[in-house]
Amino acid sequence: MFLQQLVNGLTIGGIYALIAVGYTMVYGVIQLINFAHGEIYMLGAFFAVTFILGMGMPFYLAFLLAMACGAICGMLLDVIAYRPLRQSPRLACLITAIGMSIFLQNLAMLIWGSRPRPFPSDTLPAWFDKTWHFSQFSLTGFHLFIFAATIIMMLGLNLTIKKTRFGKAMRAVAQNKTMAALAGINVNKVITLTFAVAGSMGAAAGLMVGAFYNSLYPTMGYLAGVKAFAAAVLGGIGSVPGAMLGGIVLGVAEAMGAGYLSSLYRDGISYGVMIIVIVFIPAGFFGVVIKETKKSI
Amino acid sequence: MSNATKLKIGLLILALVIPALPFVSHYLLHVIILIYLYMILALGLNIIPGFNGLLDLGYVGFYGIGAYTSGLLTFHFGLSYWLIIPLAFLNGALWGVLLGAPTLRLTGDYFAIVTFGFSELVVLFLTNEIWLTRGPLGLPGIAPPSVDLSWFGGPVWEFQGELPYYYLAIVMVLATVFVMHRIQNSRLGRAWFAIRDDEVAAVSCGINLLVYKVIAFGISAAFGAMGGSFFARWVTFLSPDMFKFWESFLVLCMVVLGGMGNIWGVMVGAAVLVSLSEVLRDVLSALGMPVEIRFLAFGLIMVLMMRYRPAGLMPIPAVAAQMRVGKVKRKKVKRTATAG
Repeated sequence: MFLQQLVNGLTIGGIYALIAVGYTMVYGVIQLINFAHGEIYMLGAFFAVTFILGMGMPFYLAFLLAMACGAICGMLLDVIAYRPLRQSPRLACLITAIGMSIFLQNLAMLIWGSRPRPFPSDTLPAWFDKTWHFSQFSLTGFHLFIFAATIIMMLGLNLTIKKTRFGKAMRAVAQNKTMAALAGINVNKVITLTFAVAGSMGAAAGLMVGAFYNSLYPTMGYLAGVKAFAAAVLGGIGSVPGAMLGGIVLGVAEAMGAGYLSSLYRDGISYGVMIIVIVFIPAGFFGVVIKETKKSI
Repeated sequence: MSNATKLKIGLLILALVIPALPFVSHYLLHVIILIYLYMILALGLNIIPGFNGLLDLGYVGFYGIGAYTSGLLTFHFGLSYWLIIPLAFLNGALWGVLLGAPTLRLTGDYFAIVTFGFSELVVLFLTNEIWLTRGPLGLPGIAPPSVDLSWFGGPVWEFQGELPYYYLAIVMVLATVFVMHRIQNSRLGRAWFAIRDDEVAAVSCGINLLVYKVIAFGISAAFGAMGGSFFARWVTFLSPDMFKFWESFLVLCMVVLGGMGNIWGVMVGAAVLVSLSEVLRDVLSALGMPVEIRFLAFGLIMVLMMRYRPAGLMPIPAVAAQMRVGKVKRKKVKRTATAG
């Protein structure tokens, strides 16, 4: 059972990691917890289903297109909801984020209905169903696809952040917006593009989860969002490698906890981890504790 | 007597006679009682963002604790509601202090998330611990409050219909407003406002941040629990999915919409949002659309409020000033012809 739970944990952990890096990147550049990120995850799944069923697209194309839509949604979210509040106090931004999250959830309910719907599994590539049975556990092609997709996206993200000019600009904006602007970086553009990257990865995660568990519903982003946020905090909010590690650790912890302790409190494990980490080690694995200073003038 | 006071007295008289008016139906009374209930909740929540400048996303947790305290004590022991009110109040305060003490050192974002996690854990606990709460089966048949005059030879009068609840709710709202008003004008309130306006200055005046924040959180939780206790014995049925995050957000909307920190503002906010919710429910079902979508309007309202009126409809000057901080008014610069 241990190895099977490990496989499950790594799978779901990879998904949490994908969503968590979205949270952490956005927090890094604008110090805002994007509550609506879970909704982009959900929209990724729904868009993909619409593309596949409504327009007859093949799976891989729908996957890439859903990622593109996720990117666009992220950018729209920034431009419409968050950018006008760039100078506003944190409370206003947090409330706006929650408001957008509720708005998007209900918009999805309006468009696609609130009943859970299945993913058209007959459109998945055939090799997803191939199963390899080992003595202690089994592995399907879909597991491998998720591992591969997750690893590729993580590596891609890491490369982008470390080696490209855009990555450097992102790191600069995260460090100090004013200085970055003085150095000639278009801060607003970098922030919006960060949302795009975060959104595309979130949408990919949503699509994979929807297909893997064969169930899509408008509130699926809520729970996944909270857990991924827990993962981001665990890894140290603002740190991308931290979010990746945090996601995997949380996924494995959840799978082990659900398997060995209590499956009823499966979701509670994430909340518990989150609270314990925030209260006792707010810096997480790799993060730096951000002290909020209230301006007195 | 100022105009504002005259208005308040007039509204109170109106509230007292509403049930006697001819066009007032059972349903309308029910909705107005709901408004009073949410007024209590909004006044309780108002302490945290309005007086202290923190964000509490987990208010529904205390509401649920109060409701289940009331419901379970009634269900298992048949305890009188008049005993339950203080018990629920104290239980709420206890959990407020227990949650607040380790977490109120945290900065705003983290604190908000922790409160959110707490409320989710409360719902999970209520759902899973079936031996205690009957979980998803719900807790039915909670007895209505009753006034027991038998110890001096009178009858036992049980609440029937909406009318007794209506007047009880008014009394509870008045009591809550009274307490809030007195706190506002006390040392405690002033300490809170100092914390909200500038923590560093507050500390340098000798205010122990953690102690005052924990007191605030405890009192806020206590009023939430009190509202929950009323709710349990009014609707006589409880189930864990009545206490989801959505309720927290709704009460937060009322506080923000009405004007954070303004006692009367949040009451207006509660009245507006509950009415809007009911009106939308009717409109949407008349249009044949699913009724849950009215929440979409709330999300949109919050986004628009934060964009254009972050301090609320009836803001108080201190909060309005804070919400304006950082916004720079851009003057339109005329482009004049320049050489080169």
